[in-house]
Amino acid sequence: MPSALRSLVAPATSENKQKKRKRRRRIGESPRQISSRAAVDGEEQHVGEEEEGDEGAEEGFKLKAAASPTIQPLGNLLLADPSANIRDRGLGTLRALSDELLLDVLGLLRGRDLAVLSTVSKSLYVFSTHEPLWRSLVLDELEGRFSFAGSWRSTYASVVSPLLPDQTPPSSLAVSNFYSDYLFQSWLCANMEMKPEWVARDNIERGRGISVDEFVARFEEPNKPVLLEGCLDGWPALRKWTRAHLLRVCGDVEFSVGPAQMTLRRYFRYADAAKEERPLYLFDPRFAEKVPEMDSDYQVPVYFREDLFALLGRERPDYRWVIIGPAGSGSSFHVDPNSTSAWNAVVSGSKKWVMFPPEVVPPGVHPSPDGAEVACPVSIMEWFMNFYEQCKTWRKRPVECICRAGEVVFVPNGWWHLVINLEDSVAITQNYVSKRNLLNVLNFLGKPNASELVSGTKDRVNLYEKFRNAIDAAFPGLINRLELKAQEKTSEKKKQSFWESVTDANAGGFRFSF
Amino acid sequence: MNSLSLRIFLFFFVSSLSRVWSLQATPRLRSIDRSDPIRSMASAAATTTKKMITLKSSDGEEFEVEEAVAMESQTIRHMIEDDCAENGIPLPNVTSKILSKVIEYCKKHVDAAAKPSDEAGAAAAAAAAAAAGGGGGKASAVPEDDLKAWDAEFVKVDQTTLFDLILAANYLNIKGLLDLTCQTVADMIKGKTPEEIRKTFNIKNDFTPEEEEEIRRENQWAFE
Repeated sequence: MPSALRSLVAPATSENKQKKRKRRRRIGESPRQISSRAAVDGEEQHVGEEEEGDEGAEEGFKLKAAASPTIQPLGNLLLADPSANIRDRGLGTLRALSDELLLDVLGLLRGRDLAVLSTVSKSLYVFSTHEPLWRSLVLDELEGRFSFAGSWRSTYASVVSPLLPDQTPPSSLAVSNFYSDYLFQSWLCANMEMKPEWVARDNIERGRGISVDEFVARFEEPNKPVLLEGCLDGWPALRKWTRAHLLRVCGDVEFSVGPAQMTLRRYFRYADAAKEERPLYLFDPRFAEKVPEMDSDYQVPVYFREDLFALLGRERPDYRWVIIGPAGSGSSFHVDPNSTSAWNAVVSGSKKWVMFPPEVVPPGVHPSPDGAEVACPVSIMEWFMNFYEQCKTWRKRPVECICRAGEVVFVPNGWWHLVINLEDSVAITQNYVSKRNLLNVLNFLGKPNASELVSGTKDRVNLYEKFRNAIDAAFPGLINRLELKAQEKTSEKKKQSFWESVTDANAGGFRFSF
Repeated sequence: MNSLSLRIFLFFFVSSLSRVWSLQATPRLRSIDRSDPIRSMASAAATTTKKMITLKSSDGEEFEVEEAVAMESQTIRHMIEDDCAENGIPLPNVTSKILSKVIEYCKKHVDAAAKPSDEAGAAAAAAAAAAAGGGGGKASAVPEDDLKAWDAEFVKVDQTTLFDLILAANYLNIKGLLDLTCQTVADMIKGKTPEEIRKTFNIKNDFTPEEEEEIRRENQWAFE
């Protein structure tokens, strides 16, 4: 539908004050903690935002195969008779509500009522068949015990009415003359492919065969990201973990997928068929316990073996995950929990990374003042569409790369990062605390609102005490030594700025961080 | 003056300046707890000087409300905290008719939340009244049930008003009111047949007979 896409360009800046759909997510949770948050809450908070960025770059979206939109953006109405929009006609008095609010109302309905509603009019058909609504219903009611049937709507129907043939067609009715920016954006993000220029940039530093000391000195100490090559060479996982093998070994083991638990077999079935804005992501913190063989198929790369949280034994927060997902799945911008550092190794597939240093909040991301929540665009695709261009003109540009099978990305503590799978991918990631970020972690855990921010453990309030005691027991005097060193560093910095302010009339060398 | 004492002098001079600078540049703290301990001890009936906020509807009417009531709206709360509320808050998206309803809701909920000291008295009074009336069922009206009943009455309005309330609650960011009104609309849909839904919302059936049959087949499971 080229006409639909081109019209995004012209009227977009003046006509469409598109509401950015924002989603609140706890910063301490990151995707590793989505268990208690609904998988789809994109319609939660709607803040009227400034206009869309430069739309000129939006020409020429590449769409996934067999994607044909029923819904058109409002801009297209300029080319047609405005009364042609069947949206209002088919809603009756409900037309007073905006698209998001109407979807909020529909989100309160049970499956049966929603299905009945879809037979009322064409307009309500389009609204009621909005896939995210059905995804919520499936995940809330069925908790992962379902076999994906091509779409969330048919999945729900096939479970509720098992006598139906498995091939319940997804929305088969072709509706024309339906215009809605909100629903179109949703459809577009679900059916679009990553543009080549979004994945072209690769400016991360790389290291191959460097020593641990060199790694610490060049990257861990100064808190810089790096892509390490060649350190997974001994991993059995690299050659063993094909899909066939994994299905054989743990096809019926239940793994954490978003808010639900799904068997690996069912997850792959879903992942192969899903065409969504935010595909469900398999992110399991207990894979080693569930499948001991997986535990022996990998080992922590040599650079990351110092992990002080290990002192807590079984009481340590969640720290390692297996990550499996189709193209388009990933995590939007977040900072890793508990102020830890992380490494992420790709076993198969490839991932695109975009990272910002701790003091640079990525465009489009709004952390709350206490750091407990983050508001960001609903999907990764939407972020790339609306915000990626912006940072090209920034002085502090993001660090970007594509990480492929056999490579490891080091994520320093506090760094914002966004990851998207470019193809079916399997990866392992761990968070850890070394002597370099020990003080940061203690600081974080000791904050007064620790009970909200600390994640990955049921024992949030006491974690600080426990950890501190464990360190003192294993490494007496270490914390004091580190604190002294840190104090020296900051007083050196202060001295400099004092002299700067004396000698330079334009100095205002005082930085206030909130 | 030798260079050492010059340095010492400058050090103290500049650091005293920095204290002045830092005072000016300190970000304004958001007060987390706006309740005055003295006020919260006062009973509901007592008149205390509470801060009033003026809200202006789209049609020019002005409403004076207590700050606590106005702050049920997160939108207004942020404006107050950012000191934009000195000359009244214009609300160009809300008519006076709707605004007065919204204020009524907020006032009721603020009052209901601020009555813990009266709960014992209210429960006792209600129990006495129930005993006198010889009524069955619950002995005393628990405040929460009272509020729910009040809410149910509050949303018994015509559809236009109801939808306007949804839009206003969304714009003003009042979660309780938004949840209540959205649920009310959902309840108007629940359990109804397509024809009943069309009647409720005055919707024209724009399917052709063939399309309608196709849709019915698709959703057969919901009609069984």
